[in-house]
Amino acid sequence: MLRESMQITGRQVDVRGVTQGFGDDVDVPHAAALVDFAEAVVLRDASRAAAARARLRAALGEAGLVDAAAVVGAFHGFVRIADAIGIPYTTAAGGRDVPELREEAGIDDFYRVRVTD
Amino acid sequence: MSTLSFEASDVPVRADLVEAHQRAWAAIAAPGTWLTGERRVALAAEIRNAIGCAHCARIKAALSPNAIEGAHDSLGVLGAAEIELIHRVVCDPGRLSERWSQSVLARGLDEGEYVEIVGVIAMVMIMDTCTRALALPERALPAPREGAPSRYRPAGAKKQAAWLPLVEPEDAVDADGPMYPSPKAGYIYRGLSLVPQSLREYWTLANCHYLPGQYIYQFDKSIRAISRPQVEILAARVSALHQCVY
Repeated sequence: MLRESMQITGRQVDVRGVTQGFGDDVDVPHAAALVDFAEAVVLRDASRAAAARARLRAALGEAGLVDAAAVVGAFHGFVRIADAIGIPYTTAAGGRDVPELREEAGIDDFYRVRVTD
Repeated sequence: MSTLSFEASDVPVRADLVEAHQRAWAAIAAPGTWLTGERRVALAAEIRNAIGCAHCARIKAALSPNAIEGAHDSLGVLGAAEIELIHRVVCDPGRLSERWSQSVLARGLDEGEYVEIVGVIAMVMIMDTCTRALALPERALPAPREGAPSRYRPAGAKKQAAWLPLVEPEDAVDADGPMYPSPKAGYIYRGLSLVPQSLREYWTLANCHYLPGQYIYQFDKSIRAISRPQVEILAARVSALHQCVY
């Protein structure tokens, strides 16, 4: 979805950032601040989250901060449904989530560290 | 503790998001398809309790989640299968397996109960994460409403593509009620379809946080205060941190 949303406006994104983190070199305004916010919330790091929130509020405004919080919340739900129900990912991103993309993004490494039972 | 999710917010929160939280908490307090309102509210309490579970922390840190013996730190209200389901889905969702899901069912949960519990987990995680991201206190749990679960199981549900039965769009019937934004709805939409009521409650909430279905593939439009690539950077990073391949 990230790659598609970039390509529609003629931009490219290094999808390795999905697993390794994005810096300010990615062609999305305030990408580093957004990633810092997402990581702080997922990791439940309150002091880091406070700083990230202030940074986002200054960069995106109050409505932008609220929408960023809402999206981070949404994906705490999506991942749990996908993982608990064991849905296949053949329809992810409308079928655009091809094996080559998962390899390039480093998502296949999740399997390499996963111990099946 | 407040009964309004955003009451203490120092930034304005859009009305549809406030209403979505109110509707979702009311839905959690009401009887579901397989669970009473009392049990659903007890699930919400255990979901919040799971975050601080020492046993879950040991599992999360271990190379294999199956190598750790011990018991979850639970509130003692729910059964062992419900507690295992809640704690593992909340704390270590990226390392679940079909064999694990079958072991949870074998401990005495019906498939519909399993799916309904996952729906409540997802809803509570969305709302609590959203408010925590805004540094707001947890909303007080609602008082459960009385009533009997409907015990409706869709006739078209079948176990084929996923670990639990799904209702494929072509197998949905009028009695199931509205479920999918389109006949091509992806598997993420179908995940809770064994319990149509849970599916509707979940997506009503999730759409207000991410994007309604009709906007998902309109990559050149944003109905939010942040651009679509900004939305997707957040989405991708959160999913990756949870080791979610989807």
